[in-house]
Amino acid sequence: MTRFLRASLFLVPALALAACAPATMSVSSHVDPSANFTAYKTFSWGPADALPTGDPRLDANPQFKDQFQGAVERELSRKGLTQVTTGKPDLLIHYHANISERLNVTGIDRPYGYCIGQECSADVTTYEAGTLVLDVVDAKTNKLIWRGWSQDPVQKMLDSPDEMTRQINKAVPQMMKQYPKAF
Amino acid sequence: MFAPTLKLRLIGAAFVAAALAGCASMTVRSYTERGAQFPHYTTYIWGTPDELTTGDPRLDNNPFFRDRVRADVDRLLAERGFKKVMAAPADLIVHYHASFHDRIDVNGIDREYGYCEDVDSCRPYIAEAGTLTIDLVDAKAKRLAWRGWAEGTVDGMVENQAYMEKKVDDAVTRIVENIPRR
Repeated sequence: MTRFLRASLFLVPALALAACAPATMSVSSHVDPSANFTAYKTFSWGPADALPTGDPRLDANPQFKDQFQGAVERELSRKGLTQVTTGKPDLLIHYHANISERLNVTGIDRPYGYCIGQECSADVTTYEAGTLVLDVVDAKTNKLIWRGWSQDPVQKMLDSPDEMTRQINKAVPQMMKQYPKAF
Repeated sequence: MFAPTLKLRLIGAAFVAAALAGCASMTVRSYTERGAQFPHYTTYIWGTPDELTTGDPRLDNNPFFRDRVRADVDRLLAERGFKKVMAAPADLIVHYHASFHDRIDVNGIDREYGYCEDVDSCRPYIAEAGTLTIDLVDAKAKRLAWRGWAEGTVDGMVENQAYMEKKVDDAVTRIVENIPRR
């Protein structure tokens, strides 16, 4: 019972604090509640985003662009949307990738016996957080109807092309799960 | 058997409540320019939106956030007797700016002085902090007449659209309350 009590006491604040400092992939979205998602059938890519990503390794990076756009196209076609390259599409898709430095606190678990000596001191560390933002715009009204995003620590992603592929293929389907069902 | 479980639940609930209370505080302040003519301002117009980044890519150029702020400001200013006009001239030009960043809450340093009691409230943690600033510019004098702002932790706000709308409503309501009475 005592052990259970201790374990539970650790878990409860850990969960509460996790809400304050997310360090794993987080996916969410905003939606225009008045948009009629069943009316949209076709899409094409809008003009490329002019904002810098915050990381020169990712600025105008064709590998990233191709992989990301490919992953989004796959997911949109799974949702029943068709990509068009001529004529007027129903939807215009934009994306923005951003990398920024975030803070994290480590080494604070001493009272629960998970660290020893020096390890237990609280250290503030920085990490690179990547955010992928996908915007879906009604092409007729030019109004944003949906914005989805995925946030993840990205150090490894920029270190290797394989890791970039893996991360994109993990992030995009999860992000697109948030997109309202059209059927 | 029931007693320890209940105690455990209560302690757990207290921890969560304490941690969430730490995440939910908001400070609201304002500044009024000397010589601002508040009894005489009647009409207002929205100024051109600022081009500054919010510090959070999810909220940059985000119409869901922007429209909520503007609708709240419009509703509350109307309640206060201000009239929105769609074209100049107006007495006041309204701007807003939102800014977000990570902040370290170093509760841990207070332990030695007894300001926090248990190991949870004494540990440092990272909170996402946000500031919403609303500016009222005297259109004739072309000077800031009043600035009000709310700042606080916004953990979990952007992820949840309904919660974001509530936070915006709370912040704008409390900021606008500080505008000098006409």
